[in-house]
Amino acid sequence: MALIDVRSVGKIYRSDGASVTALKNVSLEVNAGDFIAVVGRSGCGKSTLLNLCGAMDFPTTGEVIIEGRSTTSLTDAELTRIRREKAGFVFQSFQLLHTLSAVENVELPLLLARKPNARQTALARLCAVEMEQYADRLPHQLSGGEQQRVAIARALVHSPRVILADEPTGNLDSATSQSVLKLLLNSTREFGVAVIMATHSTENIFAANRIVRLHDGRIEGAMSGVR
Amino acid sequence: MKSRAIAAFLAMLLSASARQWQLALPGCHYQFPRDHFSHPDYETEWWYYTGNLRDPGGHRFGFELTFFRVAVNLPQQTVPSDASWRPDQIYLAHLALSDIDRGEFYHTERLNRAGPGLAGIDSSEGRYWNGNWQVRWVSLETGEQELRAVCERFAIHLDLTPEKPFVIHGRNGVSQKGAEPGRASHYISFTRLRASGQLESNGGSFSLTGLAWMDHEFFTGQLGSSVAGWDWFAIQLDNNEELMLYRLRNKSGQADPYSSGTYVDARGESRFLDSSQISFSPGEFWQSPVSGAAYPVAWKIAVPSLDLELSERTSLKDQELFSRNSYSPAYWEGAVTYSGRIHSQPVNGVGYLEMTGYKETQKVGAH
Amino acid sequence: MKTLGPLLVNLIVRPMGRERVRTALTLFAVALGVGVVIAIDLAGAAAAGSFHSSLESLAGKSTLVLHQTGGIDQSLLGRLVQLPYAFDFAPRIEDFASINGKGEALPFLGLDLIGHPGQHEFQNDRPDSAARDLAGANPVWVGQRLKLRPGDQVSLLINDSIHRFTVRGILKTRRGEIAEKNAIVADIGLAQQVTGSAGKLDSIDVTIPPDHSVDYWREILAKNVPAGITIDDQGSRTEENRKMLTAFRSNLRVLSYIALLVGAFLIYSTIEVSVVRRRADIGIVRALGATRKMVATAFLAEALVIGLVGSVLGVVIGRVMAQGAVALIGSTVQSLYVSSEPAPIALTGGAILIGIGTGLLVSMLAALAPAIEASQVAPVEAMARGRQEYITITRSGKKVVWAAAMFATAVVLSKLPPLERQPIFAYAAALLLVAGTASAIPATVSFFEGVAKRAVSLLLGVEGSLALHALRASLGRTSVLTSALATAVAMSSSVGIMVGSFRETVWVWMEDQLKADFYLSPAGRPGADRHPTMDPGIGSAIERLPGVAAVDRARSYTISYAGLPATLMGAEISKAGSSRNTRFMPGQDRNRILGQLGRGDYAIISEPFANKHGLGVGSEIVLPLRGGKQTFKVLGVYYDYSTERGIVLLDWHTLLKYLPDAAPSSLVVFLKSGADPEAVHRGIDGVIAGRPVMVLTSSKLRREGIAVFDRTFRITYALEAVAVTVAVLGIAGALLALVIDRRREFALVRFLGGAQVQIRRIILCEAGLLGLLANGIGLGLGTLLSLLLVFVINKQSFGWTIQFHWPVALLLAVLTTVFVATLLAGIYPAGVATRMNPIEVIHEE
Repeated sequence: MALIDVRSVGKIYRSDGASVTALKNVSLEVNAGDFIAVVGRSGCGKSTLLNLCGAMDFPTTGEVIIEGRSTTSLTDAELTRIRREKAGFVFQSFQLLHTLSAVENVELPLLLARKPNARQTALARLCAVEMEQYADRLPHQLSGGEQQRVAIARALVHSPRVILADEPTGNLDSATSQSVLKLLLNSTREFGVAVIMATHSTENIFAANRIVRLHDGRIEGAMSGVR
Repeated sequence: MKSRAIAAFLAMLLSASARQWQLALPGCHYQFPRDHFSHPDYETEWWYYTGNLRDPGGHRFGFELTFFRVAVNLPQQTVPSDASWRPDQIYLAHLALSDIDRGEFYHTERLNRAGPGLAGIDSSEGRYWNGNWQVRWVSLETGEQELRAVCERFAIHLDLTPEKPFVIHGRNGVSQKGAEPGRASHYISFTRLRASGQLESNGGSFSLTGLAWMDHEFFTGQLGSSVAGWDWFAIQLDNNEELMLYRLRNKSGQADPYSSGTYVDARGESRFLDSSQISFSPGEFWQSPVSGAAYPVAWKIAVPSLDLELSERTSLKDQELFSRNSYSPAYWEGAVTYSGRIHSQPVNGVGYLEMTGYKETQKVGAH
Repeated sequence: MKTLGPLLVNLIVRPMGRERVRTALTLFAVALGVGVVIAIDLAGAAAAGSFHSSLESLAGKSTLVLHQTGGIDQSLLGRLVQLPYAFDFAPRIEDFASINGKGEALPFLGLDLIGHPGQHEFQNDRPDSAARDLAGANPVWVGQRLKLRPGDQVSLLINDSIHRFTVRGILKTRRGEIAEKNAIVADIGLAQQVTGSAGKLDSIDVTIPPDHSVDYWREILAKNVPAGITIDDQGSRTEENRKMLTAFRSNLRVLSYIALLVGAFLIYSTIEVSVVRRRADIGIVRALGATRKMVATAFLAEALVIGLVGSVLGVVIGRVMAQGAVALIGSTVQSLYVSSEPAPIALTGGAILIGIGTGLLVSMLAALAPAIEASQVAPVEAMARGRQEYITITRSGKKVVWAAAMFATAVVLSKLPPLERQPIFAYAAALLLVAGTASAIPATVSFFEGVAKRAVSLLLGVEGSLALHALRASLGRTSVLTSALATAVAMSSSVGIMVGSFRETVWVWMEDQLKADFYLSPAGRPGADRHPTMDPGIGSAIERLPGVAAVDRARSYTISYAGLPATLMGAEISKAGSSRNTRFMPGQDRNRILGQLGRGDYAIISEPFANKHGLGVGSEIVLPLRGGKQTFKVLGVYYDYSTERGIVLLDWHTLLKYLPDAAPSSLVVFLKSGADPEAVHRGIDGVIAGRPVMVLTSSKLRREGIAVFDRTFRITYALEAVAVTVAVLGIAGALLALVIDRRREFALVRFLGGAQVQIRRIILCEAGLLGLLANGIGLGLGTLLSLLLVFVINKQSFGWTIQFHWPVALLLAVLTTVFVATLLAGIYPAGVATRMNPIEVIHEE
């Protein structure tokens, strides 16, 4: 069974009184271990697709089925639960809480889900991204790359099934970008996590095993098996 | 406004059933000095002091100080148990000063009850007073009196010495003013008092001498309803003779037959004059800008039996006592001069003229 | 200068317009603060009755007044009117009457209506009133407020008797003379009779001739009146009462300023928030050439706008609140100070200007620090990449030093004596305590965070931890908000403690003092300047009843002493067999003092009297009584809480020696042991025989006394409530700002699996923690302030010794209310946060 099944999904926003069609008739299947790169210019609907897959939003038309459950019919509480258990997010601007230390940032999802042993698990995750010596540093004391590593640790701390990464290397230089991509790739191999990455940089595509091209909300083309 | 309140208050006091006051009837046994003082059984009483004064420089003044007493019939319920404030007698007083040479006339009045010594007549102390206006008998035998009055504008102090004994006007001890018994008063005058004293006023300080006249009348309802008012003359001639003359005026303006007068000769002997013996001719009128009443301020008087012909004149036309707040009706009372002849001799004199009842809306003599 | 306009609009006006709710909340909080200051000011002036003692109504144009304690012998009037000066003397009888024995005490005046009818104007009577039947006896003229018509019959309670009067007319009032609206005027003879003052006058009004000065005529009068007569200026009683009320009104004013102070904190917080948010914009604007001054001016302008709009609103709110305040203050003034009619509330142009001016001044001062901070933002901040949240580096260490200094100064100031009978230094000390606490709050919050971290995470979970963390993170903001709320809590708790202590002291004192079995006094509402009397026969008749051990008599007079009103009392307290428990100040031997009191011209004085006039044991008091000036030696100072006016207490017989009127103001009845109280009560009722005399047991008297006390302090409770409301409104606004500023954070939490309800919980936890902190700090500050209030301010203002006492129930109620209110204040902001769409927020990046 597919991890995430996106079936003929359309999404229309209302913004300042006008409707904006972000996605039109998009279909996609995500399986465990997939590393999907969603490419296209900014504003073409990449983030929207990611949000739908991460149960942060639900489609106007069509459905998104996550592990057999359609998100459209879910309440906010149930969506929250999906997010807690199934999805992890990584952002372009890292989005760490500035007043919390690295380990405090990482353990936050576990605390929110009231899971026990949050601190230990968080430390273990930091180890996994080789950031354990910076556990008590505050984000502004870390470089961009280090912050993103912490963010990835955070995204993985609750053992999700899918990582949604929105331009994860957008604010990083190429060397750091590579190491971050490597981390993401590792997680697909080690934990069977699916990664859906939105990017407009062609350099990043090498890590993906499928490429989906979006243009004006529609899928233009898909390629697979690059790896 | 003041008068409304006092009217309301007095009306309340007075409008009860009439009590029987004593009437002025003939055959009264006078006893002096007792009868110079208060007669509370009679409804109304007054002591009138007027005079013509002059300072050494010739500056002329006239003055009037009058003490009125009015008895009030108090019904039983309104009597407060504290007798001292009981308004069973009301004391009104008038004070006026005529500055003849400057042409200024000032008058003021006050109203009081006896209270704890606010006003009254005291025969044992020999004085009449209303606040700090008082006349005190220095000697009950000689009749020498001391007059003092203080008001905001001036203070006057006079020693009064009778140059003649007092006279009782009328016939049989009453001065009859109408046909019915009681339409009369007991009327006593000192017709010639030598006055000397001091006047302190805003205009200066004056040493004054001159002649004064004192009237004392007591009665109950002396005037009938047909009388509108009267014109009263006090005449002090420079030949040491005096006359008191009054003309009662009917509503139609005619002289009433009960008008009369008294002639006092140089020795102090008095003679009654009835209305047939006196003729009055009013002359020039002066209209008061304040009350609107028109007073004849010039008169011609004749008493043929005395070979008397006098013209009365005044240098100060406005000597009217009237203010909207006044308790009493408007009347004209002023210092005047006389000239003419008597007993075929030319003669001059001073005196006072009082004219009442010229303001239509108020009836004189109700009290 | 050209850039300032658009600068203002972009930096200030637009953002204010965008956050309508927050702006509204801040405005309203400021308006409330300004409003309460205005309300107290207006109400204070009105309640003092335009400074008129109602007994001084209808005084006409007189300039001087003659008085004598115990009444002037009326024969003096006769002598005075005959003096050869153009004075005008108008006699007066002054007393109080209440209609049918119920309701307010109205001034009852006896005037010489024949000699002096023109001092007041009577309205037109009905045309037939003069002819009305005189069976309606005892005519009176009444003021408009009494709503009577000519011809009406009215029963008046004067002293201990009821008399019937007929209304003859209505008094016309002149503009501004409110006292005449309530007065009842009778002719003087009648007044003497019904007030039981035959042969005496209460005062004589003197109009002087215009040609010399007042002092010249005063000397002339002094030569012509006997030694016991005082010659006062007309209106001096009003002046004295005004002085008495000054302390009371000052206290209220200071309380109202605290509400404004809370508002000031809020303005500081609001401007500070503006500055923080727009740091980047400021940087840009500076980079484009705006000067430091322009930037500072822009933020000051924001404060100006808030201050102006808030003040104008405050004037309106204040005027409305003044109405309620007058009712509260008015009854206090009536019962504790002077019988006077509240004047209409006069919202003069001056009052409006002062109100708006004060509001503006406070706003500008509060905004000064943040505006200066804004002007120091360097242009380089515009270049910062991404919008980093600015972490406040508060130098809490240095501030603690400041705080300590302020506390120390406050302690020093609290020891200083009053200035012009006002505890100015104590007020300054209070201000310093508040400022010191505000300085120490950042350190306190940090400390609290460190200490409470574990407990909070245990009890409140991750939401609590995040909340606590957030408070610590924006320490600047948190401190200001905590200061505002803590100040309001401190004010409430300190006043609550003071009132509670006072109440307890008074209660204990009453329990101690009121040991007799029955207390009798004339019926009608009691008042500080009214001393109605009873028939002397009542006391002796009760004494003869079986079961009665003793009857103590007391008589009180209102006197003036050194320009202040006071009470002169004669009482039987050393009578053998009676046991009044007068408590003297430490070191004074009660038995010896009471034993000696009746043996000569001795007096004891109450504590307020001693404190007001700086007198003590051994001092000599000179009083003008009948027969001249009499000297009394002070034997002791005793505690008394029955009136703020001081009391000079003589032995009953000593008083009677100089003021021979034996009609008592009150009677105290002691029963023999074993006597049946019910039977005696019935006996007393029989003696009184239907007269309007009150008979109270000591427990009833205590309840009445404490009821008066409680009524008195209602106004302070109202003020406290306003201060707390201001603070809570401010908190709501500030939390809203907080929520908006941290929306990215909340959105992120949602991404991380946080549910909506968890977001709500975070904010409520913040509100709750804030409330907890504020309560704690407020209670601490409040206790310190209450020490000031109880031991310094109260003592210097009124002269009482109060025993410190914790009104636990009241404090708990206040703290709980504040805490709950703070939580409630968080509900709306929490709702706003929950409704935010995380996608939109993060998408902004």
